[in-house]
Amino acid sequence: MSTTAFNAFEMAQAQFDKAAEILNFDSGTRELLRNPLREYHFSIPVHMDDGSVQVFRGFRVQYNDARGPCKGGIRFHPAETIDTVRALAMWMTWKTAVVDIPLGGSKGGVICDPHNLSQRELEQIARGWIRQVAKNVGPITDVPAPDVMTSPQIMLWMLDEYETITGAKYPGVITGKPVGMGGSLGRTEATGYGLIYTVREALKELGIRSDETTASVQGFGNVAQYAIQLYNQLGGTVISVSYWDQKDNTTYVVRKNDGINVKELLGITDRFGGVDGNKAKDLGYEILPGEAWISQEVDILLPCALENQVTGENVEQIHSGVKLIGEGANGPTTPEADQVIQKRSIYMVPDFLANAGGVTCSYFEQVQNSMNYYWPKDEVLGKLDIKMTAAFLAVNELAKKRKLYMRDAAFVIAVNRVAQACKDRGWV
Amino acid sequence: MSTNNNQAERVIGTLQERAKELSCLFRIEEILQDSNQELSHLFESLIQVIPLGWQHTEICQVKIVFQGDEFKSSNYKPTEWILTANLIVNDELVGSLEVSYTEERPMEDEGPFLKEERKLINTLGERIGQFINYQQLRQIYKEVESRKAESHTDSKIVVDLLYHTDPKLYMRIARRLLNYLYKNGVSESQKILQKFIPASYSKIADSDTGDNIPLSHQGEPDIMDLSQEIYNIAYSYTNDQKLLNHLQRWIQEDRANLVIKTLNDPRATLDDIADQLRRFKQIAEKENLELSEPIQRTIIVQLIRALMSSRMGFIHRSKNYLSLEDFHNLFAAIISPTASRGRLGGKGSGMFVASKLLEKQVKTNKELGQIRTPKTYYVTTDGVYNFICYNDLEHVFEQKYKDIEQIRMEYPQLVDIFKNSKFPPDIVDKVSAALDDLADTPLIVRSSSLLEDQLGTAFSGKYRSVFLGNQGTKQERLHALLDAIAEVYASTFAPDPIEYRKERDLLDFNEEMGVMISEVVGERVGDYFLPSFAGVIFSNNEFRWSPRIKREDGLVRLTPGLGTRAVDRLADDYPILVSPGQPDLRVNVTQDEVVRYSPNKLDVINLKTNTFETIDLVDFIKNHGHEFSATDQLISLLRDDRLQQMSLLDLDFEGAHPVATFDKLLNNNKFIPQVRAILATLNDGFGIPVDIEFAVKNDEFYLLQCRPQSYGKARRPAPIPKDVPEEDIIFSANRYITNGHAADIAYIVYVDPERYSQIESKDTLLEVGKVVSKLNTILPKRQFILMGPGRWGSRGDVKLGVSITYSDINNTAMLIEVARKKGNYIPDLSFGTHFFQDLVESEIHYLPLYPDNQDVKFNKRFLNTPRSILHKLLPEYEYLDHVIKVIDVADESRGRVLQVYMNSELDEAIAVLAPPATKVDDSGVQKDFQLKSVSDEHWRWRHRMVEGLARSLDPDKFGVKGLYVFGSTNNGNAGPGSDIDLLVHYDGTGEHEKDLMQWLDGWSGCLDEINYSKTGYRSGGLLDIHLITDDDIRKKRWDASKIGAITDPATELPLTREEAAKEDSE
Repeated sequence: MSTTAFNAFEMAQAQFDKAAEILNFDSGTRELLRNPLREYHFSIPVHMDDGSVQVFRGFRVQYNDARGPCKGGIRFHPAETIDTVRALAMWMTWKTAVVDIPLGGSKGGVICDPHNLSQRELEQIARGWIRQVAKNVGPITDVPAPDVMTSPQIMLWMLDEYETITGAKYPGVITGKPVGMGGSLGRTEATGYGLIYTVREALKELGIRSDETTASVQGFGNVAQYAIQLYNQLGGTVISVSYWDQKDNTTYVVRKNDGINVKELLGITDRFGGVDGNKAKDLGYEILPGEAWISQEVDILLPCALENQVTGENVEQIHSGVKLIGEGANGPTTPEADQVIQKRSIYMVPDFLANAGGVTCSYFEQVQNSMNYYWPKDEVLGKLDIKMTAAFLAVNELAKKRKLYMRDAAFVIAVNRVAQACKDRGWV
Repeated sequence: MSTNNNQAERVIGTLQERAKELSCLFRIEEILQDSNQELSHLFESLIQVIPLGWQHTEICQVKIVFQGDEFKSSNYKPTEWILTANLIVNDELVGSLEVSYTEERPMEDEGPFLKEERKLINTLGERIGQFINYQQLRQIYKEVESRKAESHTDSKIVVDLLYHTDPKLYMRIARRLLNYLYKNGVSESQKILQKFIPASYSKIADSDTGDNIPLSHQGEPDIMDLSQEIYNIAYSYTNDQKLLNHLQRWIQEDRANLVIKTLNDPRATLDDIADQLRRFKQIAEKENLELSEPIQRTIIVQLIRALMSSRMGFIHRSKNYLSLEDFHNLFAAIISPTASRGRLGGKGSGMFVASKLLEKQVKTNKELGQIRTPKTYYVTTDGVYNFICYNDLEHVFEQKYKDIEQIRMEYPQLVDIFKNSKFPPDIVDKVSAALDDLADTPLIVRSSSLLEDQLGTAFSGKYRSVFLGNQGTKQERLHALLDAIAEVYASTFAPDPIEYRKERDLLDFNEEMGVMISEVVGERVGDYFLPSFAGVIFSNNEFRWSPRIKREDGLVRLTPGLGTRAVDRLADDYPILVSPGQPDLRVNVTQDEVVRYSPNKLDVINLKTNTFETIDLVDFIKNHGHEFSATDQLISLLRDDRLQQMSLLDLDFEGAHPVATFDKLLNNNKFIPQVRAILATLNDGFGIPVDIEFAVKNDEFYLLQCRPQSYGKARRPAPIPKDVPEEDIIFSANRYITNGHAADIAYIVYVDPERYSQIESKDTLLEVGKVVSKLNTILPKRQFILMGPGRWGSRGDVKLGVSITYSDINNTAMLIEVARKKGNYIPDLSFGTHFFQDLVESEIHYLPLYPDNQDVKFNKRFLNTPRSILHKLLPEYEYLDHVIKVIDVADESRGRVLQVYMNSELDEAIAVLAPPATKVDDSGVQKDFQLKSVSDEHWRWRHRMVEGLARSLDPDKFGVKGLYVFGSTNNGNAGPGSDIDLLVHYDGTGEHEKDLMQWLDGWSGCLDEINYSKTGYRSGGLLDIHLITDDDIRKKRWDASKIGAITDPATELPLTREEAAKEDSE
């Protein structure tokens, strides 16, 4: 009941208010977009393994569907609150809008801790959830996806339950399915490739040939690995990569001034993106402390690890030669650091836009589901390129015209698209 | 020259004597060949021949006395130079053989006689006795034959035979027969009984009360006669066939008496017992002998006492599951010094009994499946003493009374000395024979000490276990095996077990070390030898990762390869944890957790290098997965971000990452039920919780060890104090919490994780462990806590946890492991390891901390105080002042102490600065404290209770118009500390109000007490009463506005009004 705690929804609303101010929205539009269109709150009774019955609270928030069916994940979390779900549903709405895919935004959740539940009980919750909202979700109304502590398995249970209720096959009711069960090829590559598509366009904008650039990457997980791969294909040279060392419980950087060989590094990398430092040394790499990724003399910085990595404390270490930052991670830059970056006129491709490859690929999955025809990987990635490039150009255009910081431009363009759809429909 | 001649003459003379003796013996044998001759005739012939065997034949005369009759040489005259031997038949003296000289001759070994002549006369006496016995038996046989012809009954024949051949047995059987007759109400038998012990007998018959005075017992009557009488009564009262059956059984059982006698004899050695048992078994087999239950029990209990343990609990637990056959087999596997009176030791006994118990239950309990034990040889516990004495190492016995630091310092040398010492030749021979049987399969040499079977002192991992590749020539293998035994012996004097014993007052016990030599369970895969998987199983789960798991749901720790990785604490690896009672509630749930926290190494024996090795799991599976029989049981493949069980089509691992999830095994509906059945069987069988080590090879379950599970007392959840000022909180935690309260902590030893990780040199890292060890001896016991990074006392990289063993931290009240940053640290790994068992046993609290999590507190400033007192306590380690902080809590907090409260129900723990505890009930220890299941959600019972409150409230008496509940109890999100908001619509007088509040106060207190027992929370009163009037409702004042509100409306609780009650009843 306390209101002192951090409230994600209030923060999201404040962010929206800022954009609404810039866009000079009328009060009706503001009121509509400040709150979800619809919320479903329900109970999911489950017969537990020990014979008792426990009732779990479930939610689905459909924030706005003016641009198309809602899209958003389902979270299973013991500390879930309706305000968190509202905030995340709102962000989904802007995220689909910024890449201009015809979807709205939603989010759902169940208050539960999977660590205290057996597989059977989890299945009951998953099926119970979909039973409660079966009338209100579907490929043309609202499409759930996996999120915190919800696995592809949980998605398949939900899909199965939905199809049982409706008596038909609707693979598009849920995304994030495994390949072969209605999933799309190219999903693993999508976020990393998406990042580089936008970086490529940004370089064009800056008038720099990508094959003449160098980059330093933070992180060596899924996003970073594919980003480096594509960036190399464009002729770029990654000279340093930071990684997490399981053993030493800290981060290090591997550096090679004439460019790292991603294939070679992957050969000595564990499944969590940790590089074997000794083997790397043998291969002629330098090992530096983890912080060193930010101070490298490169053209491009690609933070692809965690949030809050570029901070007020270390932003000054960014080398004067850095011309562009592409945010592969979620929220890697703190507001204080943002101000410095903006002041130094380093070109920023904000996370919001730069890592939208994932959600775009989910959209493609759904499109393929409704055709019941599946594209080869190249086709998926080709279409992703087109979407990401178009999205980038629009944001860049707006930023130039209205003299906005890229981060603000991306947000404003997204909010405006949603508002416009509401207007076109005559809602406001 | 002349001396040489003399010598030669002497030798020749001696040889001549031998020749004479031999020729005498031959001639006597010749005479004895004729078995038909009369005894008197025989004696005459002997008297002629015997003198030929003696040195001075010419003056030698012979006298034979048999049953009073004398047979002598002619011209016999009594002299003083006599050599005599007894004639014994059937253990009875029947006569004597006497050889004498008629004249004096020079003195030899025994008077004028040679020592060879003494031997000769003894041999002759024996042979003559045998001949007489043979003759007598022949006579009896003839008689029996003739009686058969006279149609005597069978039983009579048997009794006659007995009478003639073994009069003692004849009498013993008569006694049993008498008891039997008396029991069957044959009145004559009573008379005879009275003859045996007249006075006392009648006394017992009269009254059963019996005074506490010994029964008197009068002079022995002629038992032979009485026996005859008893048999006669039996002939007339009992059916012949029946009597014959009884006689036969009694005679057979009588054989067992010898075994019992040996077992009861304190001087009997293991060899004696084994001999008796073997002889008995041969007879039993030949005669198809079956012993009655009580006799079997007696022998088995005695055998348990001799070989395993004389603790009543152990005997009681084991005796029902062992058979004579089991012991017979066991003796074949025992390696003991000559004249040994040693035992198997705790580990050996525990495993033996448990395996037999399971074996016996397998027939009736299908779920148990096949349970095997590896082939094992046992070196008895006195082997170590034997070894020490043989090498004159007795000084090691004083080792245990030395200062622990000195013991630690001297230990490496001691190991060297032991390894360079020799084994007595008889042990070497026996070990060598065992090795021939075991051949060249890899071996494990394990300790099995006398103390290891004590309840509550498990000695987990205290003594050495050594793996041997056992490859090479016989000589090499034998050498390695003996070396390993010496190493195990040396560990008797290692610092860790000695400290452990000291703490438990076991130091003065004369610890003896048995050794088990077992085959390693496993298969050859490439150059490696390993089981499919192995692990430990516990009856009680002392660490529950979910509140739904109960203590008795048990715990299994599984690891691929050898089980060493399950019992050791590992710095950077993750065994699979399962609670057999709740196998579906897993520690790791999300795919990322499952992948990240899965086993990534395995222990194996490398047959090529003949060593124990740790290898990488992924490499192993990629290279050998197709030959390893358990691959599909244990391994899942991570492919395209999706983790799936291996299928038969997964022929290669291209593009896939193998992860040891044990998924197929745990879901095959066989292994977990088997574990459950084993636990249930052993728990029921022994009546105590157990701790098992096992290995599985090709679906075959091998029991490797079984012992009582060490246990700590059940602790109650500590109430978590609320509203503590921020600056008084030192840390808080909300994951993997166990129950308890570490009270009145005066010192904190804090190893700063960041500074520790910055230490470059390995030696300095090890120094940190040494400082902790020293502080452990300086600081007051149980009044300090240890805090530091990573997993303490783990095998592997010292950077990942302070290097200590149990004896270095045994005085701490608490061990707190700090995990900084996100990453690879997950605490539960230690649960179930030997290290953790030690903590549980010593009741040292354990807590993992995640200071980088958002919702916990970690008072870095307090812990990094500049006023650390390390340099005062240990000036020589001042250079580590920045890494190790020793904080005097009182100094830092104006005389207060640290209180650490832990509540697993709430998954919360907090350490606060507070005055010393005065309340007794917070001591945290309460036996048999049973926690209610937490699935009883907090709001649910609150709601039920207020419904009950409403039902029992008399509205008219208190002037209540309506009762509403709102807030957290109403909307279902009440937490453990939530109050219950009640809205009372009230329109009474002031008097009413006072009564009402008093009444509600009572409820409030009771509900608070209930909540306390459920959660450990106490607030002084659980009800939050809001009184409202009609006026409030009209004006919708805040509280009243809840009635009929759109959001979160208050729910009305039905009151019982008298009219309503009446209506109901009509």
